[in-house]
Amino acid sequence: MADAPAHDQVLDAKGLLCPMPIVKLAKFMRDLESAQVVLLEATDPGAVPDVAAWSKNTKNPVIHQETEGKVMRFWIQKA
Amino acid sequence: MSSILYVHTGGVSTPERSATPIYLATTAAAMDVEVGIYFTVNGPTLLKKGVPETLIVPKYDGNGAPLRRFIDQALDMGVKFYVCQPSLDLHGLTKDDLIDGVEMIGGAAFNDMALEADQVICF
Repeated sequence: MADAPAHDQVLDAKGLLCPMPIVKLAKFMRDLESAQVVLLEATDPGAVPDVAAWSKNTKNPVIHQETEGKVMRFWIQKA
Repeated sequence: MSSILYVHTGGVSTPERSATPIYLATTAAAMDVEVGIYFTVNGPTLLKKGVPETLIVPKYDGNGAPLRRFIDQALDMGVKFYVCQPSLDLHGLTKDDLIDGVEMIGGAAFNDMALEADQVICF
């Protein structure tokens, strides 16, 4: 697995269920500068397809992701 | 920007149907989609003042949340709420009986929104 890229901020969405991880992520991204990276941590079982769908529609790319047990981590760059 | 119009026909007699269109709309707004919910048939009963605070969206373990939480999330994300007069008349409601943040439209405006939206999703 490729090394995780650097990140500027962490967003802990562990324990939150749909739709809150995506809603929190959307709000969080508003305050980031372009090209900054947020590391999102989530445990919602639907997080992988949900983050992919959110990324596709908002054009903020997921540049790296990892899964460790029930925790999914996404490195998302602000477009 | 893409747009989705949700049509919500569920009312206070079916709490289990009350929140889903609202949180899907919230999620769409989080995806930078322009979103409206048209409350019709029994939908406006969910928006009567006092109802969102007391209507509990059921959960299998008994720890349901009040509908207000879902409504506040949606309004906070910029989801627009619409009702029309005939569906208020159906329940003896007026616009003044409804919570803040609800816009009144008519059938023609609804049909125009449906024609303009990329998708219309009915509940």
